[in-house]
Amino acid sequence: MNRRPIVSYGISWSQLAWLGHRLSGVGVLVYLFMHIVENATLAFGPGVYNTTQTYFRNLPVRLGEIVLMAALVYHSLNGLRVIVMDFWPRSTAWYRPLTYGVIIATVLAMIPLGLIMITPYAPWGGH
Amino acid sequence: MAGQGRRIWPVQGDPLRRNPSRAATPRPTEPGWERFMWYFTRISGLLLVLLAMGHMLIMHVLVQLTGQEINFAFVTSRWGSPFWRIYDLLLLVLALIHGVNGARIIVGDYIERGGLRSLLIGLLLAVTLIWLLLGIFVIVTFNPDGAPAIGPFS
Repeated sequence: MNRRPIVSYGISWSQLAWLGHRLSGVGVLVYLFMHIVENATLAFGPGVYNTTQTYFRNLPVRLGEIVLMAALVYHSLNGLRVIVMDFWPRSTAWYRPLTYGVIIATVLAMIPLGLIMITPYAPWGGH
Repeated sequence: MAGQGRRIWPVQGDPLRRNPSRAATPRPTEPGWERFMWYFTRISGLLLVLLAMGHMLIMHVLVQLTGQEINFAFVTSRWGSPFWRIYDLLLLVLALIHGVNGARIIVGDYIERGGLRSLLIGLLLAVTLIWLLLGIFVIVTFNPDGAPAIGPFS
């Protein structure tokens, strides 16, 4: 009897890298639109701006900011890979290692960045 | 082919050569708007790695590490220097155009029919223009002394 995986889409890491570039790009764009609105409260003076900012100092928003940071780091690194491969086509020989490198570098960068950003809300942070 | 010279890249017929990065869009072969945006995305992307990552590292990491808080006084001292106003303006304009162009390409990839596609892309551009003007207005006209005292929190 053949042993078949129940879920077998056959999606490669390379395809996930491409999908990740789109998802992270759309995510950062949606955030940018909200950020412009939130930033516009500056025009109403310190009272309105400072009060609005207090709405953003909580754990759910901070978790969102960490996701935003991860999306930006990934989109940046993968974007650099796209630029390198578009302008120096010979680098396509290292398509796989470069793609895996981007994913690994994103995870590695997010360890210190995530730890710093979560600190005020973590048990060791003492907020 | 005579007169064309030796074209190393892009080589016709080989998909990997035509689209080496396997990004969403291979470099358009004919000059024009689409090719301009292809280059714009990559050049602005390079600048945005520095501008956007710098912005995030200052606002979300450095502010945290130095025990500061983002409030009106923070923005006042920051935008007191023309350097940061120009930095933020450049970041706003490049990020918005880079991002919206990417969204336009995604819409075009999934909706190939004319009417709905034109409607969505038209809406996207209209909304972007309003948001771009709002963003520029806020950065350019920011004046801590002239801020109006309106609203329930003033």
